[in-house]
Amino acid sequence: MNRLITSMFLAMATIFLASAAFADGHDTCGDITIAEMDWASAELIANIDKIILEEGYGCSVELIPGATMTTFASMDTKGEPDVAPELWANAVQTPLAKAEDEGRLFMLNGAPITGAGEGWMITSKTAEANGLKTLDDVLARPDLFPHPEDPSKGGIVTCPSGWGCQIATNQLFKAFDMEAKGWMLIDSGSSAGLNGSIEKAVTRDESWFGYYWGPTVLASSAGLTLLDMGAFSGNDNWDNCVMDPECQDPEPTGWVVSEVTSVVAANFIENGPKAGKAYIENRSFPAAVMSEMLMYMNSNQASGEDAAYEFLAKHPDLWTTWVTPEAASLIKEAL
Amino acid sequence: MSLFTEFPKMGRTDLRDFKKGIDESFRDFTFNYGEAIETFFDPLLFFLVWLEKLFLNTPWPIIIVIIAVLVYFGSRSIKLTIGAVLAFLVIGYLDMWDDTMATLAIISVATIVCISVGIPIGILMARSERTQTLITPILDVMQTIPSFVYLIPVVMLLGIGKVPGLLAVCIYAIPPIVRLTNLGIRLVDKDVMEASEAFGASYRQKLLGVQIPLALPNIFAGVNQTIMMALSMVVIASMIGVKGLGVPVLRAISNQYLALGVMNGLAIVVLAILFDRVSQKIGKRLQAHTESTK
Repeated sequence: MNRLITSMFLAMATIFLASAAFADGHDTCGDITIAEMDWASAELIANIDKIILEEGYGCSVELIPGATMTTFASMDTKGEPDVAPELWANAVQTPLAKAEDEGRLFMLNGAPITGAGEGWMITSKTAEANGLKTLDDVLARPDLFPHPEDPSKGGIVTCPSGWGCQIATNQLFKAFDMEAKGWMLIDSGSSAGLNGSIEKAVTRDESWFGYYWGPTVLASSAGLTLLDMGAFSGNDNWDNCVMDPECQDPEPTGWVVSEVTSVVAANFIENGPKAGKAYIENRSFPAAVMSEMLMYMNSNQASGEDAAYEFLAKHPDLWTTWVTPEAASLIKEAL
Repeated sequence: MSLFTEFPKMGRTDLRDFKKGIDESFRDFTFNYGEAIETFFDPLLFFLVWLEKLFLNTPWPIIIVIIAVLVYFGSRSIKLTIGAVLAFLVIGYLDMWDDTMATLAIISVATIVCISVGIPIGILMARSERTQTLITPILDVMQTIPSFVYLIPVVMLLGIGKVPGLLAVCIYAIPPIVRLTNLGIRLVDKDVMEASEAFGASYRQKLLGVQIPLALPNIFAGVNQTIMMALSMVVIASMIGVKGLGVPVLRAISNQYLALGVMNGLAIVVLAILFDRVSQKIGKRLQAHTESTK
């Protein structure tokens, strides 16, 4: 009996030592949760972060599916997940600023994707064929974008329910006095609905007018052009009126400059690897590379994970500058 | 050895080409026939828009009176009628009137479509074993496949809006009425059928005079279930742009607005309970009638 217990102890000790030795090879890091938002570029960045933090810095990373509002609310109140790799900060500006002041959340990277933009877009073909460049040009031609339920009116596809951009689109609809100009809103309902409506317009060679953002697969493959909506009329109008559904008299304005950020919770700053933090601060995808990766994901129907490996294999010149040389060699080994 | 540890699977590129092939052919299909299919559904869209406008533009007291009258004649119960009126007053007071009317419009049309398509299919299934074996697996698919799997092709074919939403609702809600019509007719007593045959009843007389009346309680249970399932699809339908109570629910979900979500969710429940109680009472009365003739 005694012998059995001793041998069990020995076995356990061996396992323990072995795992300790394994962990020794890396920087100590521990468990990290990363939000994997439900759109392609965020999936890609989350998966790249996962591979780099796991292989390069010895973290054990868990991806948690999320969406802007839900993930932010969870990070804000519970500090979970630790990292939001691609957070569109406009939607959560006020609470984010508050959380930063109170030291609960940290914006590590102000531009994980450079050259990103959002706003009202139309299909390029329609734009070229009819010489539409600015929003005013488009608003004068509701006949080019017939509303499915009332073809005598023009239709603008809004943002999915619950997204910050839905409020903005509805308020700007008022601001530009679009009802009087013969326009009606088309509810898209969800991101799948929004994408489906673009997909449908493109496969059928129809015109499309609505809210979208880039760099995204659809914006590039469908050939959407961002409309010139005029000058930005200041933060006061945007924050207090365009983003507030109760505000009655929003002023016309261009879309606020999109702030794409990487936000982390205090836990990551305190307990995460220092080098990992530096990596998140450094990484930045040029819009062209991001577009290329998104097109790859689309044409191969690749998951975020597949695309992450593809990116790491294809663009070492880019990502090796984000990490420490030791981490770079570890990651290269793992590939 | 690797044959046993790793499942023999299709090559990566083959699999990709296979999936892409399907996608491409569907795109071609939408490009070639999408417009025609959309035109085919135009009358339905027109009807939906018209009904929603009718519900929204009718002054609310008239709607409430109509609902009270319908509930009373359906259920013959004063309690239920008062409950219905109170429920609608609260819904209106809490600023959910417009959304509730939009939901009511799409659910009514969905129910009509499901009944007028489902009952004939159920009758066909009851008449022939072969049709039954053919249709049953289709119904299984319709009830269990995750709705977004067919929503995406429907959206690509018809865009976002009321018609694709209605289709989504009907795909999910039609199976109970089909199944229960089939079951009801199959459960009709063999002796009764023999008797009617002995009296020289024609095919039509047997179906309309004997089988359907005797199957009515079951058919009504099917109608009831169909309405319930249609209501449970309200939120999914809103994900592809159908107006109604689903829209605020979606907004509440993505922003953690607890009260907004609960209020609109409960409004859907109120509609469901009303439809359920009224249609159950009608079903019960039908049953009482058949029992008294026995």
